[in-house]
Amino acid sequence: MKKIAAVQLTLIILIAGVGGGMLLYTGVYDDIHDTIVSTLCLSCIKLDPVSRLDFVFETANGEDHSEFVLENLTKGPLFIEYRSDVCAACDIMAPIIKEIFHLSFEKEDTLYELVNYNGTDVHFYHINLDHASKIQKDSFSIYDKDNRKGVPMFVVITVKYNRGVIDPCYTAAYGTLGLDTEEERRNMVTDMIEDGIKLYEQNHEGYKYD
Amino acid sequence: MNLRFKRLISQVFFFFLTNLGFKLGDVFPGLKTGFCYPFFYCHACPAATSACPLRAIEIGVYRGNWNWRFILYPLIIIGFVGVVTGRAVCGWACPIGFLQRITGKVPQKLKKKYPSLKKLGQHRIEPYLRYIKYIVFIGLVVVTPILIGFMFTDVCPVGYLVGTIPISILNPGGFTPNEFFYIAMGVFILFLVLIFTVERGWCRYFCPIGAMLAPFNKISIYHVSVNKDECVHCNACLKVCPMGIDVPNMERDPECILCGKCVEACPKDVVSYERSL
Repeated sequence: MKKIAAVQLTLIILIAGVGGGMLLYTGVYDDIHDTIVSTLCLSCIKLDPVSRLDFVFETANGEDHSEFVLENLTKGPLFIEYRSDVCAACDIMAPIIKEIFHLSFEKEDTLYELVNYNGTDVHFYHINLDHASKIQKDSFSIYDKDNRKGVPMFVVITVKYNRGVIDPCYTAAYGTLGLDTEEERRNMVTDMIEDGIKLYEQNHEGYKYD
Repeated sequence: MNLRFKRLISQVFFFFLTNLGFKLGDVFPGLKTGFCYPFFYCHACPAATSACPLRAIEIGVYRGNWNWRFILYPLIIIGFVGVVTGRAVCGWACPIGFLQRITGKVPQKLKKKYPSLKKLGQHRIEPYLRYIKYIVFIGLVVVTPILIGFMFTDVCPVGYLVGTIPISILNPGGFTPNEFFYIAMGVFILFLVLIFTVERGWCRYFCPIGAMLAPFNKISIYHVSVNKDECVHCNACLKVCPMGIDVPNMERDPECILCGKCVEACPKDVVSYERSL
């Protein structure tokens, strides 16, 4: 009996110490909150979001566009790939994105490149939400158009005519895009980029960044 | 207030506590925390407040990434609950346990109607089937995520029940099935068949969280104890035990969920809750 009591006491002290230490001195609480609880786990629901490639002006959470987006829009449209470390759909989509943009990077990398896509400059961002800066993390909610809260999310941001002025607009696609084959997925991503480029070419002269 | 009613209140309370993440317009923004549940529930449920501990472990080990914080954190939470109460959370707090309490009436009636089902639960291989949950935990939550990236959550029937179904209803046309959808659907159907034919079938044979908590029954502060000297072996406790435990001969059984049915059923009051610290 005394032996069990000693084991119980030791374990409680050990667990309370390690648990308390983790909560106080590591960011595990926030990591679990941001990575698991607040993000829709597509693996857990066994579903892929259907992507509608319409360009909209209203940001998803009503906040302003990120500064880095507004500034870069003066030079070309943006393509942003959001992912996390553990994400099966991200792993499926990553080679397609790398192939389209002729880039090579690791999944943990947070990367920015100005890429020449068929003669047009496109700002390419690879944002791993587990390693990104706060501004980049915050931009996820701004462009989560269909409020899916899931990764991977692919965003194209460009400019478009909006009741007398040229404003930033964007579209977002999710997961494996609800498509079955690699070719279909590649085609959809390139369609998305090309639509963005087309809108940019038609409207960028009227875009002003203050 | 009898034990059965107290347990019902506890299960209803924890069901609501588990689902405080539901958004009610501007009235209630929904509570999302950074904790892991110490029982079986899926964070993909639109109303979930916390994370599934299995998912945290899977992320921690995924393809050999070794994120120790994600591995240790759920183990610490489950360890704490386990040391204090053993598997009591299965009987008193787990929403899936609550679901099986409701469906448990069906196997009880089926057993009366078809005595062969009763024999099924008493078959000599039945105790060995209980080891499946340890294989599921080690195999699908730890080994396959490391080796091939396949995770238990890819086919989890609870994720299907509280995640896939409500999300499909709330977002009609918003999602399409992924490559694991139909496998998970098959697993979910088997899950339903199991809980409607064997009382606490999921807890007994497959629950990976049950597998994590079970060893703690050996050292937990609270446990169910039998005074073997005074036991008359009337087997009243054995008949009511939802986990099919041989209660008169048990000694800190890893399967005991501390539901207290045996405590209430014992005519000699020799089965009781005990605190050992």
